[in-house]
Amino acid sequence: MIPRTLRMAGVVLAGVIIFGPLSSLVIWSFAEKWYWPHLFPQQVGFFYWAKVLQGDMLRALTDGFLIAVVVTVLTLVITIPLAYVLARLPIPFKPLILMVFLLPQAFPQLPVFVNSTTLLYRVNLGGKFWGVVLIHMVGALVFAVWTMTAVFKSVPETLEEAAINLGASRFKSFYSVSLPLATPGIIASTLLVFLYSLDEFTGTLLVGSPFVLTLPVYMYRTSVGYELQVASISALMLMVPGILLLVLLERYMKSEYLSMFGRI
Amino acid sequence: MRLSTRIACLIIALPPLAIVVWLFFVPFLSSAHLSLLREDQWSLRNYYLVWRLYKFDVLYTLWIAFFSLAAVLGIAVFLCGYLRLYSNKAVEFLFKIPLFIPFVVVGHAMRVLLAPKGTLNAVLSQVGLINMSDPPSIAFGWIGIAVSLIWKNLALAVLLVLGAYRSVDETFLEAARNFGASGFRQIKDILLPMSKASLAVAGAFMFTSMLASFSVPLMIGSGEPPQMVMIDVYYRINYQMDYGTANALGVVSYILAMGVAGYYLRTISQK
Repeated sequence: MIPRTLRMAGVVLAGVIIFGPLSSLVIWSFAEKWYWPHLFPQQVGFFYWAKVLQGDMLRALTDGFLIAVVVTVLTLVITIPLAYVLARLPIPFKPLILMVFLLPQAFPQLPVFVNSTTLLYRVNLGGKFWGVVLIHMVGALVFAVWTMTAVFKSVPETLEEAAINLGASRFKSFYSVSLPLATPGIIASTLLVFLYSLDEFTGTLLVGSPFVLTLPVYMYRTSVGYELQVASISALMLMVPGILLLVLLERYMKSEYLSMFGRI
Repeated sequence: MRLSTRIACLIIALPPLAIVVWLFFVPFLSSAHLSLLREDQWSLRNYYLVWRLYKFDVLYTLWIAFFSLAAVLGIAVFLCGYLRLYSNKAVEFLFKIPLFIPFVVVGHAMRVLLAPKGTLNAVLSQVGLINMSDPPSIAFGWIGIAVSLIWKNLALAVLLVLGAYRSVDETFLEAARNFGASGFRQIKDILLPMSKASLAVAGAFMFTSMLASFSVPLMIGSGEPPQMVMIDVYYRINYQMDYGTANALGVVSYILAMGVAGYYLRTISQK
């Protein structure tokens, strides 16, 4: 067995590795004056927090949030029936369909999205709200189809057959048997899609710029423009939803869902 | 299946399929098409330009991806071994945090931490470890990119490798302990060989994701060559509007990811 002190040392070391990089963000967000090489800022306060919360950032925050809500709702509505069909029915070309939903995971996204952007501009959706929604949905659908197909597969088919034997239609057996049983998995998948859209960067930068601004793109611009306080505050805001999910749901979430979050 | 069910299935499958085909599959294929066109003529000139301008960037990208992958797997194998054998819930929880922190934020955090006048150098200068008039820069170079990729991917690796270790039956470890195996031997001779397959899948996935990383090098790259391939593609489009060369470079990146992607697709579709 490992002695207690050594275990504590391990926890401290892990804490430094994980929180070290993040702590600079917190300090920077409160720094009003910080001359190098002082360890801490000369003057701290809420000046930049107050400034940021009335400016462009608020718009990026609300726009990004709205996009994420729309993406999540649309993705759910079109994925739940498809996932059910993929999990249950012997439909033709099933391996091919699943393959299409794997491709975006297996190949680099940026060079593809460069051409997707051209296609979206061709139908006049480039630089528009709905263009960004569509490009987010490409990634979101991949996450959603795979997680939800797995969820419906985990619901025992015998329960549905029992309902059908008792005279329920296929739709009724789906709606009042499978769907309620699949709800926890669907919630996990929903959160995953929502967080993906909220944090999406590459597609938003290519399709949305310069008209549609979400928080990740806003943070990128302020960071490379050396507005470090503003960028750090945006970065902290971007971390909040994820950390909340982790703290609230860690115990309920299966590791395969957790691993999907790592890809965002 | 009845005809009506078939038609219903088709209608259900159509909208999601249409989006992914329209905005991923078609653009994916048109990369290949556009990479072979130069001034509307079929030509291999784009690939020649990639060879002339970007061959070192391709090597640079591969180097960063291999280095980071080796570091992540090397750390994860032993860290997870420790967590599996001796169980430390606090450390396990801490290493889950980066899962929920998006790549862009990691890039920015590392930029603030590792820049010449960043937080890390400020700390080091307090204890007199560095020369303050000429602070070393870890960001804006390959180490900065590698550190960021390692930090973010370590969480994923810990999750996957620990999952694989947990599915190794306790009796094997007990048997080894009865013969006097140390923690290191239990990891090397039992846990590691028995989770080789999962490790390979995790490694394959992380390798592609590192190869294709865009936001991290964009945030802490130097803006000067050598660059990672995704940055080259982006700059080629943004500053030169040269879709031909950008797409040729894109195709090169697909080919680099292909070996791994094929493996990944095969193992996933077997499940």
